[in-house]
Amino acid sequence: MKENGRKVSKVILWIILILVAVIQLFPLIWLVDFSLGSSNEMFTNGLLIIPEKIRWDNYVTAFVDGNFLHYLRNSFLINTLAVVLVVIISIMAGYACQRMRWKLNNFVKTLLLLGMMIPIHATLLPNYKIYNTLNLTDTIWALLIPYVAFSLPQGMFLMTGFIESIPRELEEAAVMDGCGIYRIVFQIITPLLKPSIATVAIMTFLNNWNEFIMASTYLSSPKWKTLPFSVLEFTGEYSSNYAVQFAVMALTAAPAVIVYIILNKHITKGVAMGAVKG
Amino acid sequence: MKKKIVASLLVAAMAVSMLAGCGDNKSADTSKEDNSKKEQQEETQKSDDNNSDDDSNADEEQASGEDVTIKLFSNLPDRKNGQGLVEQMIIDEYMEANQNVTIEVEALDEEAYKTKFKAYAMDGMPDVVSIWGQPSFLDEVLDAGVLAELSEDDYADYKFIAGSLEGFKKDGKLYGLPRNTDIQIIYYNQKMFDDNGWTVPATYDEFLTLCGTIKDAGITPVAMDGGDGWPMATFLTDILVKIAGTDYADIISNAISTGDFTAPEIKQATQLLVDSAAAGMFQTGYDSQDYGTTMNLFTNGQAAMYCMGSWDASMALNEDIDAEIRENIRAFTMPTVADGKGGAKDIAAWNGGGYAVSADSAVKEEAIKFLNYMYQPDKLSKYGWENGVGMSAQDQTAYMTGEETELQKQIMNILTEATSVSGTPINDCGPSAFKTAIESEIQGVSNGSTSVDDFLAKIGEACK
Repeated sequence: MKENGRKVSKVILWIILILVAVIQLFPLIWLVDFSLGSSNEMFTNGLLIIPEKIRWDNYVTAFVDGNFLHYLRNSFLINTLAVVLVVIISIMAGYACQRMRWKLNNFVKTLLLLGMMIPIHATLLPNYKIYNTLNLTDTIWALLIPYVAFSLPQGMFLMTGFIESIPRELEEAAVMDGCGIYRIVFQIITPLLKPSIATVAIMTFLNNWNEFIMASTYLSSPKWKTLPFSVLEFTGEYSSNYAVQFAVMALTAAPAVIVYIILNKHITKGVAMGAVKG
Repeated sequence: MKKKIVASLLVAAMAVSMLAGCGDNKSADTSKEDNSKKEQQEETQKSDDNNSDDDSNADEEQASGEDVTIKLFSNLPDRKNGQGLVEQMIIDEYMEANQNVTIEVEALDEEAYKTKFKAYAMDGMPDVVSIWGQPSFLDEVLDAGVLAELSEDDYADYKFIAGSLEGFKKDGKLYGLPRNTDIQIIYYNQKMFDDNGWTVPATYDEFLTLCGTIKDAGITPVAMDGGDGWPMATFLTDILVKIAGTDYADIISNAISTGDFTAPEIKQATQLLVDSAAAGMFQTGYDSQDYGTTMNLFTNGQAAMYCMGSWDASMALNEDIDAEIRENIRAFTMPTVADGKGGAKDIAAWNGGGYAVSADSAVKEEAIKFLNYMYQPDKLSKYGWENGVGMSAQDQTAYMTGEETELQKQIMNILTEATSVSGTPINDCGPSAFKTAIESEIQGVSNGSTSVDDFLAKIGEACK
């Protein structure tokens, strides 16, 4: 009897999980499906289309005319740098605000976290003015600085929450053995922060990977333009080449999905633990 | 304890010095950046930008009669089709003819373009920019004084259609040139009409009756892009033109300056729109469907008519559309309204997009030279006609090849036979707040969730 009950509940659980998975995965399937059709097939009534002819040439067009490789290189470079900077700064700042005792530690922490409340669009034009005065527009810094700045508060928030959960005794032992402050942070604390580093990294990466409005405002030449610009190459004044745009989007989404799959194990852990303590 | 405080102070000091160090690195890196950029630029010539070359640099270049770089900021990101292709063709030709000139294009689509335009307006514009000759866009731009004045006499031989420059003027001075003439059109499927014995309506009442008949036959009468707001506003403009005739422009400018939209003509036109929507003239869910979806209703044969600007005449050349439909697309203009002052040949048409030159451009002379080159009648106008991207703001009759589609000829006729043209559509007549208001409120009033009076009050409010 008990066995049976357990089986039934397991089946229900599976059904629910599969349903959720389908809902989550559908947009991706839809994206790939439409990227293989022609622009005109897109407006049929069905949910998915069965292309008359599988059009791989959409991907070829996306690759060649969309300057895909160039934009991909920029996106990777800028995002990797942003992730590394955000992780390092948020670990150091998080540790300083959470564990070290100094007069303004709470104030500084609040100040940094306040950044979460500032909407990106409100800062768009003032920042443009500042970057222009500093001659930073159209350089990699014009993207790197805001990407790091806007991701940092979230990173800090997760890091401080996590650092709090690490027993102080560890650091005490380290100090006894003659550990300096940097060794404590980077050799004792950082390895323990792995799950939250993964979370911060992936959040920073995903947010900035798809960012367009700042990139379009701060950049003007193709030199540092990122992947979202690739979609734009196929946008006409009144109508667009939708099929190729879908192909571009599928190509753009792929790296993000891959990164997520790789770090997926850590992210749930990181969010859950950081959240409870934060 | 003391030790800890000292330690943390030291750490803070270290952090500060590190930050300062970062700052130095940053500037050093930036200059490196610029250098590498210049190198790369030499390698890749035109496609790369030299934003790092500041204006003074460009100035010197011009003075010595050597290389000139003109920056073009365009609202046409797709450089391989349509209007974007035409623009790029002319640019390539110009660079071919003037080896010392490099034209760098930065293109963004409309929303991003307008945001960036604001940023540029604060701090140095590119040399040639796309603009819209409509108060909702141009008034603020001209008030900021960022566009260079052009000499109207230079364009006497450019065959601009009478009145097409008006939208680009302020206090009698010319600041830009129009690229297109847009006409509000109702496209219809000739074959579907013939098969069912339907005829093109001459009056609005007939139009409504026809829509009823079509609806009863299980077909969507008119495909309407209601999701975007502006196509419905231009549709409303069209009705208003039939009601008010040549008084249209005065009525609107009066309403906008006073914020009072209760003029009987505007009220009647809005009421007609509401009644038409209530009678099922548009497809189900029209108020949330976007451009592409709507157009496809028509090109797939699910709708009998489609209401849009003349630029969509390129449907007749689009190989992706089934030949049976593509070859049977025809056009008519808004039928006359009973007791309206507007005749069948008073049409809703305007000159929207265009180009201007930046006032503080370091290469202003060269930029104006390029602008004039683009507008030579055998460039924008001719290429535009040949590529079926719509009607230019210049006289195109010289470029008729005889191979135009029926639809193209029909639309050309509508324009040449017109007794009056309306000018700017209603949504672009006021400040940008008004544009936003009317384009979002018009959905509510057409589907009956706001009353006509509330709608008129709300858009009036936005003018104040």
